[in-house]
Amino acid sequence: MDDLLAEFIAETREMLEASGGEIVAWEADPGDRARLDTIFRFVHTVKGNCGFFDFPRLANLSHAAEDALADCRAGRRDPDRELVSAVLAIIDRITLMVDAIEAGEDFPEGGDEVLIAALDNPYDPAADKLDGDKTGPESPLHAPASALIERSDDALAARRADSVAAQRTIRLPVELLDRVMSGVSDMVLARNDLAHRLRQAGNQPTIDGPFERLTTILSDVRDAITRMRMQRIETLFGVLPRLVRDLSADLGKQVMVDLDGGDVELDREMIETIRDPLTHLIRNAIDHGIEAPAARLAGGKREIGLLAIAARQSGNTISIVISDDGRGLDEDRIAAKAIATGLVTAAERPAMSRERILNLIFEPGFSTAETVSNVSGRGVGLDVVRQNLEKVGGSIKVTSVLGQGTTFTLQIPLTLSIIAGLTVEVAGHRFAIPQSYVEEIVQASTRALDMTRMGETALVTFRGNRVPCLMLGEVLGLQNSAASAGDPTLVMLRLASGDLFALAVDGIHNHGDLVVKPLAPAVMRSGLYAGSTLLDDGQPVLLLDVANIAAQHHLVSDTRTRMLGRIDEAAVVAEAAPRAMLFTDFAGRRSAVRLELVQRIETAPASAIDRSAARPRVVIDGMILPLIGLPDTPLAAPRLRLLRLSDGACELLHAVREVEDAVELTEALSPVPEDPLAEAITLIGGKPVTLIDAHALFAQYGEPPVAAARPRCVLPAGDWARSILAPLVTAAGYDIVPESEADADVIGIVFEDVYEVAEALGRPLPTHVIRLRDQPEAPTDSATIYRYDREGLLAALAAANHAALTGEAA
Amino acid sequence: MTGDLLVIVQIAGRRCALSALDVKSVIEVGTVAPIPRAPAWIAGITALRSQALTVIDCRRAIGLADCDWPTDHRAAVVAEGGHSYALLVDGIEDITTAADAAGQIPGGFGPEWSRIATGMIETMAGPALLIDLPALISGPETARHDSEAA
Repeated sequence: MDDLLAEFIAETREMLEASGGEIVAWEADPGDRARLDTIFRFVHTVKGNCGFFDFPRLANLSHAAEDALADCRAGRRDPDRELVSAVLAIIDRITLMVDAIEAGEDFPEGGDEVLIAALDNPYDPAADKLDGDKTGPESPLHAPASALIERSDDALAARRADSVAAQRTIRLPVELLDRVMSGVSDMVLARNDLAHRLRQAGNQPTIDGPFERLTTILSDVRDAITRMRMQRIETLFGVLPRLVRDLSADLGKQVMVDLDGGDVELDREMIETIRDPLTHLIRNAIDHGIEAPAARLAGGKREIGLLAIAARQSGNTISIVISDDGRGLDEDRIAAKAIATGLVTAAERPAMSRERILNLIFEPGFSTAETVSNVSGRGVGLDVVRQNLEKVGGSIKVTSVLGQGTTFTLQIPLTLSIIAGLTVEVAGHRFAIPQSYVEEIVQASTRALDMTRMGETALVTFRGNRVPCLMLGEVLGLQNSAASAGDPTLVMLRLASGDLFALAVDGIHNHGDLVVKPLAPAVMRSGLYAGSTLLDDGQPVLLLDVANIAAQHHLVSDTRTRMLGRIDEAAVVAEAAPRAMLFTDFAGRRSAVRLELVQRIETAPASAIDRSAARPRVVIDGMILPLIGLPDTPLAAPRLRLLRLSDGACELLHAVREVEDAVELTEALSPVPEDPLAEAITLIGGKPVTLIDAHALFAQYGEPPVAAARPRCVLPAGDWARSILAPLVTAAGYDIVPESEADADVIGIVFEDVYEVAEALGRPLPTHVIRLRDQPEAPTDSATIYRYDREGLLAALAAANHAALTGEAA
Repeated sequence: MTGDLLVIVQIAGRRCALSALDVKSVIEVGTVAPIPRAPAWIAGITALRSQALTVIDCRRAIGLADCDWPTDHRAAVVAEGGHSYALLVDGIEDITTAADAAGQIPGGFGPEWSRIATGMIETMAGPALLIDLPALISGPETARHDSEAA
């Protein structure tokens, strides 16, 4: 709570500083409506924030000032000099109280009532006294508070200086941070470019070392810079459950809060910007949206209201969706109210769409609440919300179904961001998708996914649910996409609203951090792209605007049913049957293996398979693993699907013709004693399927993985060996190790003169040694090799390696 | 305007001038990645060091129909509204100085050209059409929208 308090104090003080000028200007011209609004928002925000903390005096003061100002805004009262003075006295008092709170001191009792009374009664003699001079907080005219002010004059200044020194932080202009940030982003891209060129130029030990160091430093710096600006939205979400609890308790309602996407990172400044709007929206949802428990039960809903808040990042925007399952917005009431307050005329009303009417709630001075409560005010909330968001280039919109709930969608931009993204390919083009949307990647045949066309819409079956499927090629209007014809790769995307849909692409490339830069407005207008980024190879790639694409295809539902659905899902999972992976092997037999055993589905090129030994083996991720299930005939396909099975200690791969699906074993298992590798035969979808006996499988074929280690070699010292000999040896498939790590299996390469000296002095020499000489002509009886005799050297290395493996001395 | 540096380019066979202050650099155009569903006058995006540039086909951006003028392998890089663009033109000729302020000619330049031109400008290399960069970059659609709105 200390952090929160510090933030409250910092925020209040910042607003005071910012509104200082406004207050002075308003004093000069009390009729200025814009100033009035600014000051009104200040006291309103203070009032709202006090609600979190136990500051009844602050709350009373700000509430009183807000009341008086609201009367002015509504035209029930003219702002005169007396009122201005009284409001200013309250603002001064708030400043002093905030100072006292920060210092952890008690604020002297009393005095508040007089200030509040001054607001209500402009002809009060106390107000007359206030009338004389209004220069600042130290003014003796604030008669009711004078005792306090005299006391604090010097002490106050000293205390402020102390607290500044204690914080040990500095404030920087955001533009400077932006410049540093974009500089670092450019550095990352330049590094990627350099890395690409270095790879093309081949292995260069003298450059690789410093380059690696540069990479490490750069990634450290980037992390630091990113942290400097970014903060997980969790820090904002963290306080919400408490807020919801307190508010719902105050209002006699029961509300459950569901937070999602707390790991989305947001600019610190943006978090500050959305803190108030979010708080306002939550208050509104609980106060006006969610009904009292009895009303909910009467309406056939669960007693507990649901408030769901989800954050998602898509390219350069963060969307935050706040939805409740309350009574929803009443279009007619909003319209009637808007006409009454003069926002729209009765003649305009019939021509307005429901959406436009609902969005009237963001207009200044609008409120449908019949009673003004302490929790959410007089409609000031939503216009402040919109104003705050628009100030940073964001937007807000509302959708609602009467009786079912209301959804607010906030879009907040990021000027520049580094996001995790997935690169996909379709019809020869590459695009990036923000990782935060990606729920899962599914690779399967059209048949296994049960892909069907309903009119123009494609549907796939995913975990037993029909999910709409968009063909990325069609969305982008590209021809020759393989996704529509053959086996598509599906990227399952979860939107901030909770809706799931599949995006069919031709292939997945890779994933990694992408520096997203904004696009030209003409490109943005297509509504398909959120930004651009450069890949490691310098190729520019567009980032898809997933949320917008889904919206264009009407895949975003208005209200959320996800939470309730999820609860049912959990109940089903609890009593789920054992699951198995169903596949067809190369003998054409439908088999299944228990899902827990399947680590991954691998795709290996045929060249990775070694069939020379009695048992075939395959190289996956640098490991040699046993392989079973291969056909006897040579492989026709260049690539092979493999199931990677593991019993925890050892792994083996099962080659399959086709992976079908994960299924549940619901039917009875009948044992098959005649087949040692079959645990049982069962029915899946009415057809017999052999369930593989894992115990027998691992007993017969399992072996712990062997790292495909490269033979190692020690080189002589000196520049020649390092820059001329080393690349040759490395290219021939040997790892170069320093002399200190040499053991019996290491092949040593030494110069003849060194060898002779060592032999003469009886120094230890490697068991397998290759001796180099400087002259092309070989002296008689010499087992040496001329140092530029490439073939001789390679042959000697191969011989030494063979000898090392078979354990013979050279 | 007199004495201002201008970059002279050929667009659709006409001599045009860009203010040299607007032109950040002239680059060799590498591979251009097309942008599906973007307006036709946007040729795609290309990379300049760590920056992505929006490549604009000037002839289509003016609103001229398909034409077979040759395209230079070089493009002028300009910045407008915080974004960088590479302008594809027939050719980049020269840098010269303006001899006069831009002015109109009787009869105008034709609707497409008038939209993107500030006016005719006399230069040391002869007369040229001074391009209004924001109008060029906003593309032919905006003009159509404007006229529909009017």
